[in-house]
Amino acid sequence: MPSEAATARLDGDGRRLHPFTLVFSALTIGRGMIWPALAGGFGLGDGQMGRTLPIILAVLAIPALIGSAAKYALYRWRLDADELLLRSGVLNRQNRVIPLARVQNVEVRQSLLQRVVGVAELRVETAGTGLQAEAVLSVLGVGEAQSLRTDLLARRRAQADAVLVDAGEGTEAIERPVATPLAKLSTWDLLLAGATANEAGVIAAAAAGLLQFTEQIPGELFETAIRGAVERTQGAYVVVGIAGVLVLMVVGWIISIAGSLVRYHGFTLTVDGGEMRKRYGLLTVHEASVPLRRVQAIRLEETFLRRWLGLASLMIETAGGSPGQRGGAEAFVPIARRGEVARLVRGIFADAQVDEADFQHVHPKAERRLRRRYLLSFLVLVWAPFWVARWFEVQPAGTMAPWVGLLLPLPWLMARWQYAHRGWALPPGYVMARSGVLNRVTWIVPDRKLQTLHVRDTPFQRRLGLSTLVVDTAAGGKQAAVIDLAHSTARRLLEELAVRARAAVRARPPSAEPTAGSG
Amino acid sequence: MDRPHPDVTLLDEARPALGEPRPLPAEAPPEAPVQRLDPRAVTLWRLTGAMWWAMWTLCMIIPWLLWEWPLLLMAPVAALGAAWVAWVPPASYRHFSYQVGPVDVRVMHGWWTRHVAVVLHSRIQHVDTRQGPVERAMGLATVVVYTAGSVGAMVGIPGLAEGEAEALRDRLAQLSGTDDAV
Repeated sequence: MPSEAATARLDGDGRRLHPFTLVFSALTIGRGMIWPALAGGFGLGDGQMGRTLPIILAVLAIPALIGSAAKYALYRWRLDADELLLRSGVLNRQNRVIPLARVQNVEVRQSLLQRVVGVAELRVETAGTGLQAEAVLSVLGVGEAQSLRTDLLARRRAQADAVLVDAGEGTEAIERPVATPLAKLSTWDLLLAGATANEAGVIAAAAAGLLQFTEQIPGELFETAIRGAVERTQGAYVVVGIAGVLVLMVVGWIISIAGSLVRYHGFTLTVDGGEMRKRYGLLTVHEASVPLRRVQAIRLEETFLRRWLGLASLMIETAGGSPGQRGGAEAFVPIARRGEVARLVRGIFADAQVDEADFQHVHPKAERRLRRRYLLSFLVLVWAPFWVARWFEVQPAGTMAPWVGLLLPLPWLMARWQYAHRGWALPPGYVMARSGVLNRVTWIVPDRKLQTLHVRDTPFQRRLGLSTLVVDTAAGGKQAAVIDLAHSTARRLLEELAVRARAAVRARPPSAEPTAGSG
Repeated sequence: MDRPHPDVTLLDEARPALGEPRPLPAEAPPEAPVQRLDPRAVTLWRLTGAMWWAMWTLCMIIPWLLWEWPLLLMAPVAALGAAWVAWVPPASYRHFSYQVGPVDVRVMHGWWTRHVAVVLHSRIQHVDTRQGPVERAMGLATVVVYTAGSVGAMVGIPGLAEGEAEALRDRLAQLSGTDDAV
């Protein structure tokens, strides 16, 4: 057990990197300089610059070399029974403690040159955020790197085992359907998915259809109207432009439908043995499998049009599995009927009662805040430019300026809609957060996947007694947030979720052990 | 600490939002003591802030060199910097506190946007102490707690006395459990 401070232990018995580290960092610096030097030499010929550039580069290289020598001299590492300790940095000094139980992946890398001289780079990854591995020991002797890797993995296993014994049995086993496909998409489904994916295209197609319709039936009335508009706006080019845009949109729409048919052809999703398997594609056949315990959250996305048609798409957010790939969102089911959503979600989160979720509104003052913001952005970004155009007598925008005022109710409506769609729910074992009008997004986050919880409020929110609650998971780069809750509600939710997150971890099935990447 | 939130009538509070009233868990965390930063943090932030603003003030020489803009442009930047240095570090200090409870670490901070961040011990991936040159000269350090989370994955506690920072780092590393929920 570490009783001594980690820093002291590093001071006492910290180990250095292999001395070849110096050679390799010098090589890296040299490689960075060589191309500018060559380019300078060739490009500038025998001129003054041609000769001075290599000198300048050499001068630049010297501090870099000194820096890397200092880095090598100060770098220390040490492997203890349950921790890996690292010290690095010259000006900004960093002492890092990595609990071994957290280690996801240990990799020994060797470039060709490193193989020749018998050294290697050891990379230790945890589930942390950075793109870079959490510990990069570059370089160590090959033997040292390999034995360190073996040690790290052995000690990590010992740690994980100890904890598993601690956790004990008696956790509920979650039953999942065996090998029957959870979802299968027909050609009709894919057609729908494609047709509703590109909203602008749909609107354009509808508009084009309408235009044709109006041309044939009421005749004169529309013709005179359009002709009048054309005359007033001084030129047919406007009409031609609009028609061009319409044509482009329709083409885009057709492409989107075709794309959906080709990409998702024969979509089949199976959940079996703790794994989700997807198979789809006409030209390129995709086969993906995702371990269910890696799923951090499900996101339900309903665009305006799809909502209206009773359709939705589901995304899953995962934490990265293999080295180099740090998780992210993935289409779980590209299109689903609303009635099926709950069943699909239960395929991944067996105990989620999504359909019974009782969504709560945020504080009514949120609507006020939204309204003010929309109004302000409408006035500044939309209406004001028209008046400026009028001032400078730019036509036709100038003549339109007073008419744009007719759009004034829009900010009110938008605020109302936003407020109506924004909400949160706490079904047992899960947190749900919903927001958005044009694309409504609903997060479904299991308590057991909560990483950190945040409540924050800007001075503007504070004035109204409002706060934002952020629920963070290991999902790649996105967070679920509930904006403009009453401050006291946000704080209460924070406490509630902290308790729930902790309880959920305790009650986790032992199969969900943290060993992930194999070495 | 400061002004409490103005209380408002709560629509979302009126409903039984959180379901059944649940008995408090047995291991309900007793109030952990609220810890403050080392008072020298104010000096640290003043120093780094002053350096930062001095740099910007000096940058105002560039338009003077290139287009002969008036050098007086430096004055408003310097004034802004002075106001910042005078006011922001103490405000940040006043609003910064942290708690290491039996189950989680909480960090409360922000003079403009207020933040409350809760990190369960079980979710801690690894812990760093960091020292910049100024911090080292003053014997201060920053503790950074990493989780597997996405955006709020790093939670930092700056301006701690060196020894205190090391003790906190080691304690948090030991408290971190094995279940990181990834």
